[in-house]
Amino acid sequence: MSIMERPVFVDDKLREVRQSGRLEYRSRSLPTWCPGCGYFSIVEGVTYACNEMGIAKEQAVVVSGIGCSSRFPFFVDLFGFHTLHGRVLPVATGVKTANDKLTVIAVGGDGDGFAIGGGHISHAAKRNVDITYLLFDNGIYGLTKGQTSPLSAVGLRTSTSPFDNMEQPLNPLMMVLAYGASWVGQAYAGRPDHLREMITKAIAHRGFSYLHILSPCVTFDKTSKTYVNLGLRVRELPSGHDATDLMAALHQARDQESLAIGLYYQESRPTLNATFEQLVAKAGGGR
Amino acid sequence: MKATDIQIALCGSAGDGTIAAGDILRNAVARAGYRVISFDVYPPEIRGFGKCISRVRITTEQSYALKRQSDVFVSLDDSHAIPHVGEVRPDGAVIFESQPVATVAEGHHISGHIHPGHIPYGIPLRELSEKSTGGGRSRNLVVLGYIAGLLGLAPEHFLSIIEKKFTKQGSEVVSRNQAGFHAGFQAGTATFKLDNVFFTPLGTPHGSEQVVMLSGNAAVAQGCMDAHLDTFFGYPITPATSIMERLAVALPKRGARLLQTEDEISAMAASIGAGFAGARAATATSGPGLALMSEMIGLATMAEVPCVVFVSQRGGPSTGMPTKTEQSDLNAALYGSPGDSQHIVIAPTNVEGCYRCAGKAFEMAERYQTPVIVLLDLYLSNRYETVTLAVSGPPFNLNANKPRPRLEAGEVYKRYALTDDGISPRAIPGDAGCMHVITGLEHNELGRPSDQEEMHAAMSRKRHDKLLGALQHPDFTVSKRFGDPGRVKVGLLSWGSTFGECLEAMFMAQAEGIPCAAMKVVMLAPFPVQPVADFMADCDVVLVPECNYEGQFAHLVQGILAKPVVRLSRVPGSPMPVEAILGEVRRLARGAVTAIAS
Repeated sequence: MSIMERPVFVDDKLREVRQSGRLEYRSRSLPTWCPGCGYFSIVEGVTYACNEMGIAKEQAVVVSGIGCSSRFPFFVDLFGFHTLHGRVLPVATGVKTANDKLTVIAVGGDGDGFAIGGGHISHAAKRNVDITYLLFDNGIYGLTKGQTSPLSAVGLRTSTSPFDNMEQPLNPLMMVLAYGASWVGQAYAGRPDHLREMITKAIAHRGFSYLHILSPCVTFDKTSKTYVNLGLRVRELPSGHDATDLMAALHQARDQESLAIGLYYQESRPTLNATFEQLVAKAGGGR
Repeated sequence: MKATDIQIALCGSAGDGTIAAGDILRNAVARAGYRVISFDVYPPEIRGFGKCISRVRITTEQSYALKRQSDVFVSLDDSHAIPHVGEVRPDGAVIFESQPVATVAEGHHISGHIHPGHIPYGIPLRELSEKSTGGGRSRNLVVLGYIAGLLGLAPEHFLSIIEKKFTKQGSEVVSRNQAGFHAGFQAGTATFKLDNVFFTPLGTPHGSEQVVMLSGNAAVAQGCMDAHLDTFFGYPITPATSIMERLAVALPKRGARLLQTEDEISAMAASIGAGFAGARAATATSGPGLALMSEMIGLATMAEVPCVVFVSQRGGPSTGMPTKTEQSDLNAALYGSPGDSQHIVIAPTNVEGCYRCAGKAFEMAERYQTPVIVLLDLYLSNRYETVTLAVSGPPFNLNANKPRPRLEAGEVYKRYALTDDGISPRAIPGDAGCMHVITGLEHNELGRPSDQEEMHAAMSRKRHDKLLGALQHPDFTVSKRFGDPGRVKVGLLSWGSTFGECLEAMFMAQAEGIPCAAMKVVMLAPFPVQPVADFMADCDVVLVPECNYEGQFAHLVQGILAKPVVRLSRVPGSPMPVEAILGEVRRLARGAVTAIAS
């Protein structure tokens, strides 16, 4: 049932949101993003997921890098660490190594993750650190006022590519699948209901879960990843997609024209902290 | 009776077992109760025919540096040993192979290079090895036995150390090596004695302390373990790697965790993440790694996260000289991070100091909520010393956190509350009701981003002032004066590993009648202004010996105290020679005023 079939009234919606309990996870700080930014639905998705899963606020840590997306921790009432550009994953690895009980959510943008921080994703994935990495992909550097990112489309005109971006963008999903991430999915900020379910699943997964979130930058990108363009390009994964089939996942990820959302791949294998415990047992140790 | 003070140097080619023999020697004499200081020199290549030298100084009371000249010198390879014959003192012994396996070209046998004052001990090393063990590979053990026999050391400690060292390779290897030792021992006992070198018997040690022999890096690892380190993140780099290697064995045995990260940035980042989560966290690196970590260290400064970084310096800049020692990362450690990089930097001066600084670093990181850099160097990391540890247990505070007051109902937790001492009670993830966000952005008391002028000034002052408490940190020697009290002609002001050489030079200068004192500065940031100012006021002239070219510590002192010092800046890639310092002290004592004027 689509929104068009049944009118939504603001009062009803507010009541529903207040009663759900997820506002408990919102901080007193209002998001500093531009009106219309896709990231609002990601905050909504994370608070929804925490609420659904009954995560105690003091037991969750959101770690971020630098960029528009990385202001995220300030807008939720959880523990947070706003770190350095590109370093979200190693910091999150340290947090999780220090305390198994914490739910650790890493957030960052496409420049943070795939440019300056590109070297860390493979290692977090191979170690299967039990964290959730939400990558906000708007294909542009927003906080520095619109420069090309490694995920910018060919032809995007920005202040650092004034004659249009000539470089082919990376394929983040194929990379992360090849790195051995144990949970890989994609969602779209323009479909918040699907997004919040995906965030919930990603947090629930034990191991390194990577959720690629497509989002427009309404201020600095008027031509490429707009709501209209993304809305036209996003599709669901085929109904018969087998999330245990890595080659099928790679096949789907290869299509960068028509962007499939959903769970690409999932496997179960020991997390980093589980291997630490194995190591302690092997060394005959214990606290 | 005269106290024991013997230095033995072994020189050979990679593969001769030179370093192994030095290791057995220092362990055996340490077990016998003597004090040891020892430093090995070896090439950066794993294989090949590089020069290896192991020097062991054996004393009754702990010495502070190696002597420039050894009493006994062993050549296991003449081509490497010949250039080093000069480091044997007059009347010292030179032990060498008397029956080379092939004809030696003229000038290529060490016997042709021994000085007239040296006592030659030519022995058929290879033959003794072959006869006793069936092969020539135990020449190093034969030589050890020979030294023990010659100097009158009991074989029991050697035999047990040999057993311990080779037991993994099987009992056959143990007994073969012991047989080689015995053969050498008999030969050494049977030969003429070296009459001016001898071991004097030792008194019984105190029951309240135990003496162990450790390298600087081993002492750091021991300090980490005794301070109950929870997590270690590292990336291999010479000469810091052995800290990580030791912890990789020790930490899991205590249920703690070590992760080899993808680079130094990640090692530092993960340490800070773990520190934020409440764990005791550390990493270890050398200069090039410190450069990569510096942005992260600034984050820990700004976000006030406790973490400890061990930096073992090597020759620089850039990749520099990975297996040579230097003290040239002082500036990087003090100022390496962008902005006002307020943090603590401490530098031990000997192996025992490595242990104490390692343990205390965690206290300071926690107490003052800051990154702490412990500055070592290759000489300190790799040298061995006998260290006295208290039997009563580690002298470290295992929880130095400021207690957190209970929050009133409805009260919002302020992570960066402005307090009198600048230290804000720290909550960690898991503490109910204390959710907060920490950031590398300038922030207000709540931790929310703020770039207001008053707030930046207040927070800058907080980050500065809170560290001053470290200058009075309990049970920690921030700086210390040695030598003559009161007014002196020459004052030696020094930091790090070079201080040992300074002390030796000071003793020699005093013996020559020069009024002389020395001060070690262990805490380099925050700087102990008053004690150093007081010391300098007592000296006609202050000499700052250090192993870097630009005189980095001298610059620091002159900048802070606005008083001139005389620099002795050398980059030999090896420890500062005691004679170089002594020569400078003599020169300054003769004409201190001229020295200042120039």
